Amino acid sequence: MLAIRGLGVQYGAVTAVREIDLDIREGEIVALLGANGAGKTTIARAIAGLLPFRGEISFRDQVLKPNSAEHNLRAGISLVPEGRGILARMTVEENLLMGIYCRTDRRAATADVGQMFERFPILKERRSRLASLLSGGEQQLLAIARACLSKPRLLLLDEPSLGLAPKMTDYVFSMIGNLRSEGLTIMLVEQKARQTLKFADRAYVLETGRMVISGTASELAGNAAVSEAFLGGGTKPPHHAN
Amino acid sequence: MSTYTASLLADVGILTLGALSVYVILATGQLSLGNAGFMAIGAYLASYLTVVAGVPLTSALVIAALCSGIIGVMIGFPALRLKGIFLAMATLGFGEMIRSLFLNLEITGGAGGFHGMAHVSVTYVWIWVGLILVLVWLMESSRAWLEMRAVADDETAANLIGLNTTMTKIGAFGMSAAVAAVSGGLFAHHHVYIEPGNFGFERSIDFVLAVILGGSTIGAGSLVGAALLVLLPEQLRALDDWRPAAFGALLIIVLLIRRQGILDRSLLRRFTFRKQAA
Repeated sequence: MLAIRGLGVQYGAVTAVREIDLDIREGEIVALLGANGAGKTTIARAIAGLLPFRGEISFRDQVLKPNSAEHNLRAGISLVPEGRGILARMTVEENLLMGIYCRTDRRAATADVGQMFERFPILKERRSRLASLLSGGEQQLLAIARACLSKPRLLLLDEPSLGLAPKMTDYVFSMIGNLRSEGLTIMLVEQKARQTLKFADRAYVLETGRMVISGTASELAGNAAVSEAFLGGGTKPPHHAN
Repeated sequence: MSTYTASLLADVGILTLGALSVYVILATGQLSLGNAGFMAIGAYLASYLTVVAGVPLTSALVIAALCSGIIGVMIGFPALRLKGIFLAMATLGFGEMIRSLFLNLEITGGAGGFHGMAHVSVTYVWIWVGLILVLVWLMESSRAWLEMRAVADDETAANLIGLNTTMTKIGAFGMSAAVAAVSGGLFAHHHVYIEPGNFGFERSIDFVLAVILGGSTIGAGSLVGAALLVLLPEQLRALDDWRPAAFGALLIIVLLIRRQGILDRSLLRRFTFRKQAA
């Protein structure tokens, strides 16, 4: 579904990621793991079309151009950014209405907003409230609900558990599982590696802008070096690419 | 109605339009300090068309609005690279550039100004104000306005939901310039004489002040702000030399009490509900 070859992104003179190869197949949950500053968010933003990049990103046999967020969204890629990216000065309902902005099937899209309220009753309860007044967890639900309303084929979730209470984190992860069971393909950018690997099919591990290891979630969870470096088993990172 | 009252009411209307021109652009999160420049374009172009070319005033105003709108779009493109205070400074520079242009342009009278326009009544001014207020009110409940608010709220998030933020911001610049031009055309034909000094930096500040004072979250706020800015100094005439100081102090007090401006959506809703209940 998504194939990345030789991806490189620079912020001025600083190279954020280099020579990244990554594949996502239809229906998978693929995790992107790594410490702060490893380049996970940069990759997600490049795929979403928010950044200039080198290399090639192709999605469903279509080569994506840099800085083409609007096109990528219409092609079926939706990003829930780190920090949620909700429209804080708009109400919950207005945020959801903005989610169907790119859709041409207006009637079905409006019906989907209603369905989203049924799916997340807490959002229905707060529909007239400003998004900035929601709790962190509610904001995350709103951001995911809004992203789903664009009917994506690939959903990119950047640190969905960031700043959430453990109970809310569990809820968000269970929701991600539900989305996958509905056939949605998901790329999950996370620092909570252990929890993420329970949900993911495959994972890529990044370190200072380079891909250092990849494999199935169970392989990585059982890999001593990964466990030591990223799952709380130690501090020494692995230095072999798969 | 006395000439004095009519003149005040016309000034309120003209300032309302100027403030609305700033309000439209502010809705996308951009601040323009150069709308007096667009007002000058509208004033000189509409006056030239009516006096020299013999075009009827209404047509002249429409032409001036279109031309100014196109210039607004042209200015909007380079302005896209700027944000916040830098955009404000760039638009301020544009306003001063236009003022200097008319100061040196012989065809429109240069520093001596331009005259010969037929005087328009306060009713005509307010027909335009009413039309543009209704247009803005209709826009406020449209999808386009939702897009503008989204761009103002978070440009990256707006990008992610598929909005063409470039078109939204440039469109707002164009509309803002067109409304300012109508304000200028009406100013010229109400005062029947214009000179570059009428369109200086202070005029742009008046527009911004009217929006901030009246309420920057709703179009009708511009009307409230303009009325206050024009009528309040008149009410303070008894204070003689203390009038500017008292006026400034009152403005500060109003903004301390109502940081969001005098009129906002919740106040308007409350007023409407009370009216319905009554």
